Amino acid sequence: MNVRLRLTRQLYDQVRRDLLRPHPFAAERVGFLFARLGNVGTAAPLVCFTAYRPLADERYIDDPHSGARIDSQAIRAAMQQVIDRGEGAFHMHMHAWPGKPHFSPMDRNELPRLIPSFQAVGPGCAHGLLLLSHDACAAEVWLPGSKRSVEAARISVVGFPMQLIPGGET
Amino acid sequence: MTNERFLRQSFLGESGQEVIGRCLVGLVGLGGGGGHIALQLAHVGFMNYVTYDADFAEDSNLNRLVIAIEADVAAGTPKVEAAKRRILGVRGAAHVETYRCRWQERPEPLRACDLVFGCVDSFAERRELEACCRRYLIPYIDIGMDLHQAGDEPPVMGGQVILSMPNGPCMFCLGYLTEEKLGREAARYGAAGGRPQVVWPNGVLASTAVGVAVDLLTDWSRSLRGPVYLAYRGNDGTVVPHPRLVHFRGGACPHYPPDQVGDPLFKRL
Repeated sequence: MNVRLRLTRQLYDQVRRDLLRPHPFAAERVGFLFARLGNVGTAAPLVCFTAYRPLADERYIDDPHSGARIDSQAIRAAMQQVIDRGEGAFHMHMHAWPGKPHFSPMDRNELPRLIPSFQAVGPGCAHGLLLLSHDACAAEVWLPGSKRSVEAARISVVGFPMQLIPGGET
Repeated sequence: MTNERFLRQSFLGESGQEVIGRCLVGLVGLGGGGGHIALQLAHVGFMNYVTYDADFAEDSNLNRLVIAIEADVAAGTPKVEAAKRRILGVRGAAHVETYRCRWQERPEPLRACDLVFGCVDSFAERRELEACCRRYLIPYIDIGMDLHQAGDEPPVMGGQVILSMPNGPCMFCLGYLTEEKLGREAARYGAAGGRPQVVWPNGVLASTAVGVAVDLLTDWSRSLRGPVYLAYRGNDGTVVPHPRLVHFRGGACPHYPPDQVGDPLFKRL
């Protein structure tokens, strides 16, 4: 399975600008990207992002053990977007340094718990987790009906200039 | 990959060459223009190709089809196979998928591409190809040439290279495609016969298109920041920004809204 993610340069820049904003107490910011699926049923599905929703400062919980912890209202709002838009939701955050980013043990333990909620309201959509660094990304994608994630091969930033950011592709 | 091979294009940067090698490029139409493009992409270092053409090499193609030779005509070699042979001749490790059919019959591999070149004959084909690329967020580079003759005047040779970027102006926005052109084309369907095609404008247009693609991927010039619509004037041998682009006022493309991406779905009302 060779899952590829695509978004426009405008959307990518919007995401980066938001995630790089300092928060009063959280060390990182979180947002949600929404996406439609393409090439469904093939070995090369496409996740095409359409919109980004940042989180308001008050949706963060002050937790010194976590870079960013968000409240249930933030998750409910993302679920509502899945219903309203008919699109999948991707949890976004960023490690603001160069090189291939890696989900932390806490990320790996806690973030996948969001996915069943998204799948419950958007069973025909792809949902996932996306972690950016300055020049690379790591993404896990849950295709419709799947309980297991697939590592995205790459994320393409479509604009001037193009960026083909390697993910799990070899 | 030998570093020496790309020594003379090292201005593209190490990461630029990597991106070129990583890019999955789609080529629709491997005739006069597409054949040139395939060959040049191989020289530049592209490694991954998805190619479409339903036709075979014919004698009437050899005035311009740089990927084919007389033996291909005798053997009835499909154009996609001729292109593959030429690409592999330059880049032996390249991965070339060949589809001897219209792209609409096997659209899935095309949708996976990072960049698509359209070298097709009709406005209707261009419209369909651009619509597919918009839906799957793929930059689309269109090339084409034409020859017009009016009365006793010498023929006027023209052509275009257009870069259509998702979220940017499309070929309708730029005035290259119009409902009137599509209607006229549909009305004369089957009656047009073979349109003039020669090797040198195809070469100019293909080289220009490859240059646009390399700049888009590597950002070597750091100046490509907007749509491309170049006009080729064969009679005076120039390629210039098209007046329609010069006077384009910008604004969001109304033909391909940003949320109309991915596979089409029925929506609940």
